[in-house]
Amino acid sequence: MKANNTLMRADRSASLLWRRHLCDKLATAMSWLGMLIVVFMLGSILWTLFKNGLAGMSVHLFTMSMAAPGQPGGLANAIVGSIIQTGLAILIGAPAGLMTGIYLAEYGTTSRLARIVRFVSDMLLSAPSILIGLFIYMMLVVPFGHFSGLSGAVALAILAMPIVVRTTEDMLRLVPVAMREAGIALGAPKWRVILFICVRAVRAGIMTGVLLAIARVAGETAPLLFTSLGNSEWSLDLGRPMASLPVAIYQYAGSAYQDWMQQAWTGALLVTLGVLIINIVVRVGTRGGRS
Amino acid sequence: MSIEVPVKTAGMTQPDSAIAPKEAPHPVAMQVKGLNFYYGTSHALHDISLDFPERSVTGMIGPSGCGKSTLLRVLNRMYDLYPGQRATGEVIFDKQNILHSGVDLNVLRSRIGMVFQKPTPFPMSIYDNIAFGIRLHERVSRSEMDGRVEDALRRVALWSEVQDRLSASATALSGGQQQRLCIARTIAVRPEVILLDEPTSALDPVSTARIEELLDELKTEFTIAIVTHNMQQAARCADQVAFFYMGRLIEVDSTARMFTTPREQQTQDYITGRFG
Repeated sequence: MKANNTLMRADRSASLLWRRHLCDKLATAMSWLGMLIVVFMLGSILWTLFKNGLAGMSVHLFTMSMAAPGQPGGLANAIVGSIIQTGLAILIGAPAGLMTGIYLAEYGTTSRLARIVRFVSDMLLSAPSILIGLFIYMMLVVPFGHFSGLSGAVALAILAMPIVVRTTEDMLRLVPVAMREAGIALGAPKWRVILFICVRAVRAGIMTGVLLAIARVAGETAPLLFTSLGNSEWSLDLGRPMASLPVAIYQYAGSAYQDWMQQAWTGALLVTLGVLIINIVVRVGTRGGRS
Repeated sequence: MSIEVPVKTAGMTQPDSAIAPKEAPHPVAMQVKGLNFYYGTSHALHDISLDFPERSVTGMIGPSGCGKSTLLRVLNRMYDLYPGQRATGEVIFDKQNILHSGVDLNVLRSRIGMVFQKPTPFPMSIYDNIAFGIRLHERVSRSEMDGRVEDALRRVALWSEVQDRLSASATALSGGQQQRLCIARTIAVRPEVILLDEPTSALDPVSTARIEELLDELKTEFTIAIVTHNMQQAARCADQVAFFYMGRLIEVDSTARMFTTPREQQTQDYITGRFG
């Protein structure tokens, strides 16, 4: 009776096992397929970029400003414009984001104001970037009557800020209570404990957030279309329209001229390489910070 | 502030006269009177009265949740960090009730230092860990700071181990070294009282022994209150022992009497239960 029972169970579980085995194989195959599709797309993008972009790599690209089709020209003004606008955006957005993150993690925490700020910040994080561009267009372009590099930088800063806010808050929440209390127990005022102990303890993580923000805004086109507009001339004047790589790519790639299209490919390659380098720096930097 | 009950100890005498007379070798450094403590609506400490004699070690023992750590965190107003926690009664330190709302907490905490259960080195160099506390309260020259850092590290017997790598990160030290660093950091500020909350429970026996030796030296200069789960540790280190149970102070007496002839049955049960 007992043996019979066991046999029946073994019998039943054999079919069950077979079904499980099949499900396992199927699920594994599906995830491999999904992975291959993603890697293939990524590889395809990189391959196309390198194949079409490398040909345009030349000294002119880095030394000459944009020129009319058929004329010798480069992307120097767009490269420098991108660096200026991204840099300025981070200079504005990172400290503001850092301070907001500190407020949310250390002062506001669960207060009504903090909850509202957190909600708004998270909404900004996922807001379409073209909306940010339109917002700054209304705030900084229309009142002054002209496009400017500064307004482009401010638009990018608004995109960068919520990324820094979120990482700063998340990181500060990881600081152990005991470390805060140890600072307080020495007679340190709260702001000193936060700045010199807590922020210090998670500086690698906050740095990661800032670098991710750079990577994010460096490739933005939409918010710049209504703000810094783009400029084919060499210009470092923040009060005037300023060129940038993404806008130059947008403008060149849509053109019918062979040399412009070539430069669009090369510009796209440059942006991608820039973001790639930043990402590698983030990886290496955080690995160093953890050990 | 009104004190209607005459105080039975010599704790209220002037600090100057406290040094001179031999007949009162241990005047009271800190005096808890009628202290009640609440975590929100939960009543955690009931009517505690306890004297901490100057330059001696007071051990606080009792089962988990008995309120001994809570009492320690009242003594430097650490509970102030958390809304909903409040204390009533008096804690007299330097003729002042430190529970008073007008007390400058940063100054108070520089005079009453605290060492925690887990070592808490700050994310900076060994040197800066010590200098951090000093810089909070004093403006000292670079050479003087070097001297103060060395002095603090020597007194916790850490100097010989770290003198070649003062600029190295403090988090790279071993647990026992980190805890000694935390004690050095606390004494570098030159407090009068040091509160220790189970300072060795995260350490190995060798590191524990070193910290216990250290306490013996430190008590020549500081008033020490130590919370411990380890009965032997209390017996070894403390001059007087206070036994807490369910938020009440059951008994306080000299260490020798406490561990040989406790007056209360509960004390006896707890002590023998642990030993037996």
